[in-house]
Amino acid sequence: MSLALHAEWTKMRTVASPLWLLLGTVAATVALGAGATSVVNCTANGCGGDTTKLSLMGVYLGQALVAILAVLIISGEYSSGMIRTTLTAVPRRATVFAAKAVTLTGVVAVAGTAAVLGSVLAGRLILPDLGDRALSLSDGPTLRAVFGTVLYLILIGLLSLGVATAVRDSATSIGVVLGLLYIVPIISQTISDPDWQRLLEKIAPMSAGLAIQVTTDLDSLPISPWAGLGVTAGWAAAALLAGGLLLRRRDA
Amino acid sequence: MTATMTPRPVGQRAGRDGFLQLVHAEWTKFRTVRSWVTGMAVTALLVVLVALLAGVSSDQKGSPPVPVGPGGEPVTDSYFLVHQPLAGDGSVTVSVSALESSIPKGPGDLRPGIVPWAKAGLIIKESTRQGSSYAAIMATGSHGVRMQDDYVNDTAGLPGQVSAESPRWLRLDRSGDTITGYASTDGTKWTKVGTAQVSGLGSTVQVGLFVASPPAVEGLGTAGSVSKAVFGDLRLQGGWTGGEWTGEQLGADSPTFAGYPDNGSGSFTQSGGRFTVTGAGDIAPAVRETLPTGGTLRDILTGTFAALITVIVVGALFITTEYRNNMIHLTLAASPRRSRVLVAKAIVLGAVTFVAGLAGAVLAVPLGERLARANGVYIFPVASSTELRVALGTAALLATASILALSVGTIFRHSAGAVTTVLVAIVLPYILTAIPFMPASVANWLAKVTPAAAFAVQQTLVRYDQVASHYTPYNGYYPLPPWAGFAVLAGYAVASLAVAAVLLNRRDA
Amino acid sequence: MFAAPDVHSLAGMEATIEVSGLRKSFGRTVALDGMTFSVRPGLVTGFVGPNGAGKSTTMRVILGLNAANEGTALISGKPYHRLRHPLSHVGSLLDAAALHSSRSARGHLLWLAHSQGMSARRVDEVLELVGLTSAARRKAGGYSLGMRQRLGIAAALLGDPATVMLDEPFNGMDPEGIVWIRGFLRSLAAQGRAVLVSSHLMSELEDTADHLVAVGRGKVIADSSVADLIGAASGSRVAVRTTAPQDTMRVLAVAGATVAAIGRDTITVSGLAPDRIVTVLNEGAVPFSEVSAHRATLEEAYMELTRNAVEFRAAMPTEVAR
Repeated sequence: MSLALHAEWTKMRTVASPLWLLLGTVAATVALGAGATSVVNCTANGCGGDTTKLSLMGVYLGQALVAILAVLIISGEYSSGMIRTTLTAVPRRATVFAAKAVTLTGVVAVAGTAAVLGSVLAGRLILPDLGDRALSLSDGPTLRAVFGTVLYLILIGLLSLGVATAVRDSATSIGVVLGLLYIVPIISQTISDPDWQRLLEKIAPMSAGLAIQVTTDLDSLPISPWAGLGVTAGWAAAALLAGGLLLRRRDA
Repeated sequence: MTATMTPRPVGQRAGRDGFLQLVHAEWTKFRTVRSWVTGMAVTALLVVLVALLAGVSSDQKGSPPVPVGPGGEPVTDSYFLVHQPLAGDGSVTVSVSALESSIPKGPGDLRPGIVPWAKAGLIIKESTRQGSSYAAIMATGSHGVRMQDDYVNDTAGLPGQVSAESPRWLRLDRSGDTITGYASTDGTKWTKVGTAQVSGLGSTVQVGLFVASPPAVEGLGTAGSVSKAVFGDLRLQGGWTGGEWTGEQLGADSPTFAGYPDNGSGSFTQSGGRFTVTGAGDIAPAVRETLPTGGTLRDILTGTFAALITVIVVGALFITTEYRNNMIHLTLAASPRRSRVLVAKAIVLGAVTFVAGLAGAVLAVPLGERLARANGVYIFPVASSTELRVALGTAALLATASILALSVGTIFRHSAGAVTTVLVAIVLPYILTAIPFMPASVANWLAKVTPAAAFAVQQTLVRYDQVASHYTPYNGYYPLPPWAGFAVLAGYAVASLAVAAVLLNRRDA
Repeated sequence: MFAAPDVHSLAGMEATIEVSGLRKSFGRTVALDGMTFSVRPGLVTGFVGPNGAGKSTTMRVILGLNAANEGTALISGKPYHRLRHPLSHVGSLLDAAALHSSRSARGHLLWLAHSQGMSARRVDEVLELVGLTSAARRKAGGYSLGMRQRLGIAAALLGDPATVMLDEPFNGMDPEGIVWIRGFLRSLAAQGRAVLVSSHLMSELEDTADHLVAVGRGKVIADSSVADLIGAASGSRVAVRTTAPQDTMRVLAVAGATVAAIGRDTITVSGLAPDRIVTVLNEGAVPFSEVSAHRATLEEAYMELTRNAVEFRAAMPTEVAR
């Protein structure tokens, strides 16, 4: 396993695109969050909303770049045929898959932490001084939102890796992933039955997972923050399981 | 006579400059990849399936009917009315010396505030039936005196707010179906505000004083308001029956009525010629915020978002697969004028997507509408020309998105990056506008300059200046007219197609 | 010019590939239909047959990439997935184009090395071995076909394996490269390694292969040493070089021989001993410059071999698309 891990890490650092995608994730996340905080109107009473969630809004965009990275890790090998070289070097396919997942988790954790801390810092600089509590890592809910958002990005990466391993084609994989993330919430809005709508918000990977960012009005959430992140984790686990099983069963 | 023979290679068909042959070749390429053809079928299917989902999942059976105005549009016809009948012609005059509104700042905590379209004035109405014809003249919170009739028509009169120091006198004259409104600052010198032709009034009409107070638009939401007006100098001329003044809240159960805030209720008191009337609600066309349960064609066509995914994936793959297995060499060897290859691809892809999108939309709209209506959902009415525009526009949106994906795919030569870029460019702005933090100015800016502007082709709702609301893309109101919004997306597609052509020509294949 | 690596890892290791009874179908297409053969150490085994005969599929099954429906493929007695550090047991080259085009040759070999717990020093050694040192840090996407083949061979040798398996290594090589690979394969076998080389062109294996496994339609149609094959194909035939082939054929036929023209001035004769042929030609006053025992080419031996495999020759198997 450690050898496979070393190989995957070497693979990742010997091409340029993962680094650019990770830097892009940080830049996109911070930029969109900063943009969102700079347009909000704040008064002495506050900013009329959840400033933590607002500052972290960039993950809506950042997650797309994480998804590309995760998809390319596997579909890039399928499109070139290099997957056969990989599986010849490490015949235990579960080991290859786990090594890829661990490598991805590592790099997304680093980039995600940078992106999230950058967003919070940008929020603190842009928003007027809101007292000690807001956007401070010493505040429990804010810390949970920050930490949880990094976990969320990792889970989106793993979800994408699983989908891409099952689907193999990069364009189709990214379509499936972005569809799950972006389109399901939009479609849930057409459902006028509020119970159904709430249910969809509870089970969709993005809307449930991003509950982790909410620091105010927790009672109005369809799902509690950690349970929501758990739903996203469930999606990631299901995708990894499906991808892993198919990788083991199919001819390479 | 000499017979001339033009040699032509065996089996080659005539085509101007061979471009038609190029298009034919690209069409053959497209239709022989089964997954692409399936992708297009799925595109149409997704549009239809989501329409079915939207129709089936809604259940509003047994909800009170939506009031519909004389023009067929949904209306709000809920306010406090103090009225009595008038038989035949006549006129009514009144002064308004106060119009004060209150807005809740917390549960049960009503504070004075400004409701720009709070209304207090005179009305002549066919009957108290919801949605019946009327003409009215009124003082408003901050839009001066207005003359309005049949919900959608609005004419400005004297400007300025009313107060005890600066009251307004209002007058309505009825002569058959013609109602004329006058306003005055002193009760003697009258200015005509407007004349309304109100058909179908009948001989006996209801005349009276009304106070309406639409929900205040505050920040990102609305808050139900209540307004109190003081009337005096009530004078009647004509066929009055001499009955008592009756006060009632009209349309109390209407779905377009938001109700009174806590600790507020409608009432009127009369002492001599002085009336104090408190009311909430509005007499105006309904907009999305006043009728949130109403459906639109845009809701039924939400599947467009899902269809975008398949369209963009196929569009990007149409070129990137050629790069991946170097088939591009063969393609460019067969047709060395590279930009023409790109244009031929764009034409084939655009045409196929347009057909698939149109098929989806044409099936989805009537199916979704029928299902939704069967479940008691009110659908905002649209003219059939608008319905055609929405269907064609949806197909054109999908086709243009696929061409954008083709162009970006040519630029990137990489499918995952191309798919993500195009999908994010079109869908993410829409999602951002739907986030409750987004100020309307930002949402409208996004809906003007990003490719998401094209969703304006699905707009069927009408914006009314005399109704304060959040006219945001999220609520179905786009800042650009339908085809102008589409032109933004088309602009992106054409620009990226041009960049792609330049790069294709310049780069080594 | 290119030295083969030292064979320190070979001691005590039985380098073999044993394939027995492999069957594999893709949908309705039968790719392998009872493929059985073995590859022995110290020999270059040619794996020959037309396109679609099942050569690549067999190699993929050996490497555990494709799962066989039936049968086993063992490397030194173990299935591939049970090998620890498999690249030090079997080095393989399946598709030289299977590279990440924006990764350098060195980066490509480096991740492979790391997967086996080897150091970067070994990477530089094999790069030197195949003559890619100067291009090692360039993106592999810009490599010529020949350079990619060299990189693929470097990857196959990375683990200094006892068994080497190459799928069509001559494809895209220039004449100099072909000569290089031939010498290389010979030296690998001379070090005691088992070498399996597939090819659909018999001439490529001329003077290289010691043993031949010929396949068609997913099964072995011949499995024999090259010397035996050529001996059998040459038979008792005699080659006659002459400036008057028509006359030669006529007089020899009259004398009871079976004759065939195989070149502008060369005729093969069977049914007559060489000294009798000389006598007949002298009696008929037919000029000739050489009478010698005929040695068949590998190509001829192969055609001879497959002449009897009617089933195989009746219809070429359709290409299997994986």
